Amino acid sequence: MGERVRRVREARTEPANDVGAELMQRVARGDEPAFEKLYDLLVGPVFGLVRRIVRDPAQSEEVVQEVMVELWRSAARYSPERGSATTWAMTLAHRRAVDRVRSAQAATDRDETVGRRDIGRPFDEVAEQVTTRLEQEQVRRCLRTLTDLQRESVLLAYYGGRTYREVGELLGTPLGTIKTRLRDGLIRLRDCLGVA
Amino acid sequence: MTTADIHALTGAYAVDAVPGAERAAFERHLSECESCAQEVRELRETATRLALAAAEDPPPALKARVLDQIKTVRQESPSATVTPLRHRDRRAIALRLTSVAAAVLLAAAVALGVLVVRQNDELDQTRARAAEMSEILRAGDAQVLTVDKGKDGRMTVAMSRSENRMLLLTDDLPNPPEGKDLQVWTGHGGTMVSAGFLTPDNGDAVLEISGFGDADAIGVTLEPDGGSDSPTLPAVMEVPLPA
Ligand SMILES: [Zn+2]
Repeated sequence: MGERVRRVREARTEPANDVGAELMQRVARGDEPAFEKLYDLLVGPVFGLVRRIVRDPAQSEEVVQEVMVELWRSAARYSPERGSATTWAMTLAHRRAVDRVRSAQAATDRDETVGRRDIGRPFDEVAEQVTTRLEQEQVRRCLRTLTDLQRESVLLAYYGGRTYREVGELLGTPLGTIKTRLRDGLIRLRDCLGVA
Repeated sequence: MTTADIHALTGAYAVDAVPGAERAAFERHLSECESCAQEVRELRETATRLALAAAEDPPPALKARVLDQIKTVRQESPSATVTPLRHRDRRAIALRLTSVAAAVLLAAAVALGVLVVRQNDELDQTRARAAEMSEILRAGDAQVLTVDKGKDGRMTVAMSRSENRMLLLTDDLPNPPEGKDLQVWTGHGGTMVSAGFLTPDNGDAVLEISGFGDADAIGVTLEPDGGSDSPTLPAVMEVPLPA
């Protein structure tokens, strides 16, 4: 954990987490207008993330719907001490998307070429929103501070929904190395983005 | 796996890249290793930034579908107390574990005590259940839920997803009328699967459920003698299960 000493803090765009936490608490009490606001706040990144992992448009929509409804259903379980509402939602979205593609039937069309192509063009087809653009620029700049192996590991695991074993196979790298590259890469990204 | 190896899994775990059994083992480690737990929280916040950067506008029709659907989805009630036995502060874990374990074991003792007195030959089974309970509580992801329905009784559920085990305890549950049975169900995205029967003795009963998989709810219903293929509503008791 010595890495943390070298942490460099930088200005960052606030993803409106406090708003999210407040909305979640209202949603937990059955407040439908609050849920609609929460939907507007989170559906963009949830959809973008799920689309990258699941790929098939119809299935992606199903998963996004599942995730948003689950946020409604389990809002009472959210507590701000455990992290931002946005991260709560993205963690759920990532897990659900990954579950979907790892269930056997979807596995066939996710070949190596697709996984690799995704790394080269991580930010196409995105919403033309200012906050998203700022976020993208900063994330892109920080991704450049990673080594190639760190960056490819992180992107294949997160946007590709791959297990670290699959990442190891795709990159022809031993599993122990992949584990540490994933961790080192995310830590470097954390420090560059100034995530507390 | 050596200790040094397991700490290195924070990154892979934060992005759901650790599959199955290894994930369960790491989750047990997380409940005991505060530095890993803290790192996982930070790396998840970090991964969230990758999601924000990937934002895409969904088809507008999706919103109407979601808003429609939530009108038919019951929310988890904040009154069902969920006690995750995992916390930022290690001391807090110990304290919570002790008090929760004490409460649950007390409930178990109440339920099991009756069995001990009435059916001495079931003592071994009782011991096995006490052991079962403490095993569940030792799991890194152990959680305890309680539902209090006042004069209609109380239900306590101790569960571990990584162990895929659960113990359901009731007390002060009104006896089922003549010719009726109390059947337990687990809910799986709206599909109800029978998990067995409660045979209350003075309102107290205990049921061990293993292999509940992705269950998102548990409930008890009153069914005709011998049970039913699907639950008769309304349920006597029901509670959503935490993920
Ligand atoms: Zn550790």
